[in-house]
Amino acid sequence: MSLQPPTVFLVDDEALVRKAVERLLRAEGFEVAAFASPAEFLAAHDPAEPGCLVLDMAMPGINGLELQETLSARGSALPIIFLTGRADVPMCVQAMKRGAADFLTKPLKDTDLFAAIRRALEHDRNARQTRAEREDIRARVASLTPRERDVLKQVVTGQLNKQIAFNLGTVEKTIKVHRGRVMEKMRVTSVAELVRLVERCGLGFQFDTEK
Amino acid sequence: MSWVTVLWSMIASACLTLALVHGLVWWRHREAWANILFALTAVATSLLAAGEVWMMWAETPEQFGMALRWTHIPAWALIVSLVGFVRLYLRAGRQWLAWTVCGLRTLSLILNFLTGANLNYREVAALQRIPFLGESVSVGEGMSNPWMLVGQLSLVLLVMFAADAAFTVWRRGDRRQALVVGGGIVFCVLMGTGQAILVFWGIISAPITASLFYMGIVAAMGFELSHDMLRAAELSEELRESERRMDLAASAAELGLWVWDMERDEIWTTDKGHELFGLAKTEPLNFARIVERLHPDDREPTRVAVATALENGGNYRNEYRLLSGAASVRWIAAQGRVEFAADRRPLRMRGVSIDITARRLAEQEVQERRAELTHLSRVAMLGELSGSLAHELNQPLTAILSNAQAAQRFLARPQINRAELEEILSDIVDADQHAGEVIRSLRLLLKKGEVQRQQLDANEVVQEVLNLVRSDLLNHRVAAETELAPDLPTVRGDRVQLQQVMLNLVMNACDAMAGSDVAGRRLCVSTNWIADEGVRVSVRDHGLGIPTELLERVFEPFFTTKPQGLGLGLAVCRSILLAHDGELSAENHPSGGAVFRFTLPTELHAGT
Repeated sequence: MSLQPPTVFLVDDEALVRKAVERLLRAEGFEVAAFASPAEFLAAHDPAEPGCLVLDMAMPGINGLELQETLSARGSALPIIFLTGRADVPMCVQAMKRGAADFLTKPLKDTDLFAAIRRALEHDRNARQTRAEREDIRARVASLTPRERDVLKQVVTGQLNKQIAFNLGTVEKTIKVHRGRVMEKMRVTSVAELVRLVERCGLGFQFDTEK
Repeated sequence: MSWVTVLWSMIASACLTLALVHGLVWWRHREAWANILFALTAVATSLLAAGEVWMMWAETPEQFGMALRWTHIPAWALIVSLVGFVRLYLRAGRQWLAWTVCGLRTLSLILNFLTGANLNYREVAALQRIPFLGESVSVGEGMSNPWMLVGQLSLVLLVMFAADAAFTVWRRGDRRQALVVGGGIVFCVLMGTGQAILVFWGIISAPITASLFYMGIVAAMGFELSHDMLRAAELSEELRESERRMDLAASAAELGLWVWDMERDEIWTTDKGHELFGLAKTEPLNFARIVERLHPDDREPTRVAVATALENGGNYRNEYRLLSGAASVRWIAAQGRVEFAADRRPLRMRGVSIDITARRLAEQEVQERRAELTHLSRVAMLGELSGSLAHELNQPLTAILSNAQAAQRFLARPQINRAELEEILSDIVDADQHAGEVIRSLRLLLKKGEVQRQQLDANEVVQEVLNLVRSDLLNHRVAAETELAPDLPTVRGDRVQLQQVMLNLVMNACDAMAGSDVAGRRLCVSTNWIADEGVRVSVRDHGLGIPTELLERVFEPFFTTKPQGLGLGLAVCRSILLAHDGELSAENHPSGGAVFRFTLPTELHAGT
C-alpha cells in the first residue's frame, strides 16, 4: 500500500480561477497539482498516485467530459469532481452516469468543495485499499501449487478432509499436509478466516477459470 | 400756298418730330445708339428737304449752285448715319463696304467744296424755270462735274452694302426687318440716285427731290423702331404676367423667393419669405437681421455657407433652424446663387427658402425608429447570450471568492505570510477588473445611447467581442482563430454598433456550426486593409455555408433560419454599416463555410 499523501489534481483553463482554487486548497492543507489543460494533466498523470481530480467542465480543446472518458478508457479510477459555471442538466447527468464523484457550481462554496474533496479522497483511499488487498490475496493464491489450489477450493466450500481426499482420489493424510500448506501460504489460522478472505476478493470465479 | 411748300415742310417737320422722339429715347438710354443714328438720319433728311426747297426757289445760277453745294452736307450726314444705323441696328453689312461708303462720301463732300460750283456742276450756266406740282421751280443747267461720279459711286456702294445687310438679316430669319429696313433703303437710295443721275447728267429736266425718297427710308426705319418699342411694351407686360405666374407657383409651393443686394446689404423677399421668417411684410431686411432670427448654433455655419458660396463660384445651399417664439423649432432649407460683376465683385444673391420642418421631423422619427430597432436587436442578442455572459462573470467571481476564502484561512494561522496575502489581494483586484470590464461592455451594449462616432481600432473591436463571447464559444465547442493585421489605420465609427455587428456575425457563425463535427467547429476572424476600400473584417465559419440563392436574402428583414430568430440581426447589421459608409456582404468560402465581410472606410480616403 502506498504511503504517499493523496494529491488534489486541479484542471482549469482560466488562470485566475485555477490559481485561486489551488491557493484555497493549499490553505486548507491539501496537496495540490494544478494544470491549465486536460492535455497537460494527461501527460503528467500517473494512475498509481492517490488523490482526486477537480475538473472544470467547459474548456477549449478537450473538455471535462472528454477527459473523464479518456481516463476511464485508460482504466484510471481517479474520482472526479466537476466544476461548472452553469447548471447544465444534460451534462451533469452524463457526468454522473459515468461515475463522477461530485458536481459543483461556481462560484465555489469552500466547505462544499472541501467536503466533496474529502469524500472523494476517502473513496479513493478505500478503493485503492480494496484493490491492494485484492492484489495481495491474488498474490497469495498465485503462490499455491495447482494441487493446493484444488484443496483450497474444496476447503472453502465446506468439505471435510475425508471428502476432499475421496474427491481428489488420494488419502486423507496427504490432504491434511496440503491443507496445512494452504493455510500457511494464505496466512490464515482458521478455515473461517480463509473463507472470508476468498469471499472478499471474489476469487470463486477465478478458481473455476484457472482450473 | 404751294404744294412744294406744303409737301417739303411736311417732310421736314415729320422728320424733325421723329428725330426729337428718338433723340429723347437716346437721352434716356444712352446705349440706344440705333435711336440716335435714326434721329441724325431724320434731321439730315429734313435739312436735305430744306436745301431742295432752296434750290427750287433759286433766282440766279449762283444761288442755285450755292444751295446745291450746302445741301451736300446733310446728304453726307444722312448717308453716314444710315450706314451706322444699318451696322448697329441690323447688326449686318460688311465692314469694309461701310468704311468705303463713308470714305467716298466724305471725299465727295471735300470735292464738293474744292471743284467746280459744286460736286454736280462744274458751272451752273443758267436757270431754267419749269412747272412742278402746279408751280414754277428753278432747275440748273450747265456743265456736269465729272467728280460727281465719286458721290454716285458711294451711293451705288451704299445700295450694295444695304442689300448685302438685308440679305444677311433675311438669312438670319428676320425677314420683315430685312424687307422693311434693308429693302426700303435699297429701293429709296436707288430711286434717289437714279433721279440724280438723270438730272445732273442733263438727261431730264426736273428738280432734285431726294428728300422725298429718303423720307421713305426714314419712315421704314421709324416703323421698325416703333415696332421694337411696341414689342418692348408687350414684353414688359409678358414679364409682369410671368412674374405673377412665378409668384403663384412659388406661393403654392410655399417657397419664399428672395434677392439679396450684397452691395447695399438689402434683402427683398416675397410675402411668403417674410412669413417664413416670421417678419412683418413692411420690415426692411438685411443679412444681419436674418442671422438674428436663426438658432444660435446655426448662425456661424450660415455665415460659412455664404462665404463658401462667394469663394466657390456662387452656389449657396444651407439648412438651418429658426428661432420661433414657441418651443417648436422650424427648419428652413435655402438655395441660392451669387451673381458677380465683371470684376468678380459679388453683386447680389438670388434664392429660394422653404420650410422643411415636416420633412426633418419625419427624418428624425425614422432615425429614432432605426436606433430603437438597432437597440432592440442588440438586446435580443444579449438575451440569447445571457447564459454565457453569466458564466463570463462567474469566472472572476469564483476567483475572487476562492481567493478571499484562502486569505481568511491564511489569516487564521499563527504566522501570517504577508507576501502570500499581497499576491491574493492583487489577484482579487485583477479578477474584479475583469468582471468590471465584462459589465461595462454589457452595459454599453444594453444602453440605448446616442450614436457616438470616434476613431476606432478595428482589431480592438474584434478582440472585445471575442472576449465577451468566450464562454459562448466554449459552450458551442467552437475554437476561435484570429488573423489580425497589425498597424491598421483607424476607422471612424460607433464602438457599440460595430461591436453589435461583430457579435451578430460571431453568434451566427456559432449557430451555423452547431451541427458540425466538434473538431471542425472553427471560427476564423481576420482583419486587413484593402487599398481604396478601407479596413475589412471577415468572419468565417466552417459550417454548411449558405445556399447561393439565399446569399442576398439573409440581409432581408424577417428572414431567418432559426426557430427563435426574429430575422432582424443581419438587416440591422447592414443598416449599421450603411450608416458608417461601409458595406456588409456574405459569400461562401471555396473550401466550405460562409464568410461575412464588412468594410469600413478609413480616414485616409474618407477625404478623397
